[in-house]
Amino acid sequence: MKYAAGIDVGSTQSKAVLIDLARAVVARTLIDTGANVKRAGQRALDNLLKESGIPREQVGFVIGTGYGRYKIEAGDDQVTEISCHARGAQMLFPATRTVIDMGGQDTKAIKVGPDGDVVDFSMNDKCAAGTGRFLAGAADVLGLTLDEIGEISLTGTKPIRLTSVCTVFVESDILSHLAQKQKVEDILAGVHQAIASRTISLVRRVGREEEVTFTGGVARNIGMVRALEEKLDVSVNVSPDSQFTGAIGAALYAMDRVLAGDAEAAAVSDEDTVWVDE
Amino acid sequence: MRTTVAEDKDYRGKVHQLSRDIMTDWMTELKDATKSPTPSAYMMISGNCVEILRCFDILPVFPEVNALQLAIRKQSLPYIIKSEEIGYASDNCAYVKADVGYTMCGGVGENGNIPVPDFIVCNFVGCNVYIKWFEHCASMFDVPMIMLDIPFVREDGPSTDDVKYVMTQLKELIAHCEKLTGKKFDIDRLREVLGYSARAERGWSRCKELCKRKPTPFDAYFDSINMMGPINALRGSKVAADFFDQVVEQYEGMVSDGMGVLEDERFRIVFEGPPPYPYYRNFRNLFEAWGAVAVQSTYSTVGGTWEFGFTHDPERPLESIAEQMIIHNLCNRSMIERYAQIQSYVDEYDADALVIHSIKSCRLFSAGQGDMREYFTKDRGVPTLMVESDLEDPRYYAEAQMKNRIDAFFEALTYKRIRGKATA
Repeated sequence: MKYAAGIDVGSTQSKAVLIDLARAVVARTLIDTGANVKRAGQRALDNLLKESGIPREQVGFVIGTGYGRYKIEAGDDQVTEISCHARGAQMLFPATRTVIDMGGQDTKAIKVGPDGDVVDFSMNDKCAAGTGRFLAGAADVLGLTLDEIGEISLTGTKPIRLTSVCTVFVESDILSHLAQKQKVEDILAGVHQAIASRTISLVRRVGREEEVTFTGGVARNIGMVRALEEKLDVSVNVSPDSQFTGAIGAALYAMDRVLAGDAEAAAVSDEDTVWVDE
Repeated sequence: MRTTVAEDKDYRGKVHQLSRDIMTDWMTELKDATKSPTPSAYMMISGNCVEILRCFDILPVFPEVNALQLAIRKQSLPYIIKSEEIGYASDNCAYVKADVGYTMCGGVGENGNIPVPDFIVCNFVGCNVYIKWFEHCASMFDVPMIMLDIPFVREDGPSTDDVKYVMTQLKELIAHCEKLTGKKFDIDRLREVLGYSARAERGWSRCKELCKRKPTPFDAYFDSINMMGPINALRGSKVAADFFDQVVEQYEGMVSDGMGVLEDERFRIVFEGPPPYPYYRNFRNLFEAWGAVAVQSTYSTVGGTWEFGFTHDPERPLESIAEQMIIHNLCNRSMIERYAQIQSYVDEYDADALVIHSIKSCRLFSAGQGDMREYFTKDRGVPTLMVESDLEDPRYYAEAQMKNRIDAFFEALTYKRIRGKATA
């Protein structure tokens, strides 16, 4: 039992990570979630094992996270992505005290303790405005891909103030600005600023503390990184593994369980805590 | 970590059954009254003066109770939509919309379950949306509406003039009741009614007091609902007073046997805000899965903050009714007083956390809860979770989002506890 795995089944993509006893990432995989959430979790784990060449019996514990976490039959237990992103971000950047996680449907601001524990968190509620979905809507209507829009937004010189920050209405809003001959880069700069503004209010609710680490799929968007840095007036950490942060956190929680029999990990024994299998 | 939903537990105990029995009797009375000349009146729950109606044998009808019963039976949505069809906005109070829609669909009247009221008492306490609700009802039924103006207390407490002002209005209400029923006001009858009220209120307080024990014998949020009907709607009746005697006996018995509502009480929480009635059991299960139990709740005090010592006083009949309406109920309390109430619960009931369930369609009471969360988290060091849905409209409840927030919150509390133990 030398390994532990974390599977993060998100609304658009599923990620899986394998770590060893030293808590180092030894393998990672990413697939589209698709309609079958249950299969997505299994496929991610299968991919992970195949790519790493590590047999399943060497994986001592598997923790699922993300919205699809209860559908992951391959997992031994579940932990919310809020806890997992905090833990994962703290591993990637040990001085992390604030995590901004931006995914397909959710944006979260998480205040993190020195050990990667969640001190407080705040999320968007009942509305996907201010999330990755908002960017996808904007990209669609402009005929661009998600990978392009961040760079393009940085070339905007006069960001357009969007009249609506609703994911559904943003498309018609952008169309009207295009009709007024506004530049695509200025519209995109406005889109990124609109999302950053909403995100900053979530960060303020939990109280911003440095360092700030940006996680989730949208962290790959350089335009969003810059927009957040501008609003926060501080540079933010972004890891090449940002998309895997939740899965890394889940794998770390899973490794706690693998080690639970060890003297060092006595604090997480079943007797003392509610860490019990259902 | 334990994060899967608890099994669908049967929460019904003896108190639930006792409550159901007497509330069903009252509902039967209401239904019978649809076809009889029994006088009835609409009234609000919060800080009400039901004792005046009872003294004249006028059957009280509470549209809020009608609305929440529709919600808990998962029947509210068609009525909400009916109201939206005639122009109520989507973010308008869903209690109002469910009740108005229910009335429009025949729920009130000869073929329904609720009698058409002879008049409407708008005991405006805290909620000004209710004025428009009751005005609409008065218009639909073409019956008189008596508007009571209860001063909102922004300072330390009500002035003598505030109390006199309300007492004068109560006398006007009494005169109206005399005219309607042809009965002469009998102060001794009111004293008798207030005696029943006080007995029920003392029982209520005793029950709440028992939640200081570990484990707590009942959930002071979810199970308090069983006591809220009797204390708010049936108060002033012998039935309600007797009910509380039995409830006290039941819960004292549980305490002396060391029994708690949960087999494994792991987190003691204070709740702010009403529950999502359309998903009442689902919502409760999300907390129970973590061994979390409410040891106090502000919502249970919308009708009266009895546990702080106030009771109706048969020796000061109108004065004590006025005082209760002005200051001894949650709805007429300022935000600062609500903070103090919550803090005293946290301290005296040894709570681990505060959970705020914010109501999407009730901006009046939800406004300020963001600040409340910040105040308790940052200034008082009380871990606070804020979740949002609705008390009546099922469309606002998203189980996955709700569960995610609740699980993350208790994961964090669990982790904090583990670290506390590890460093102790």
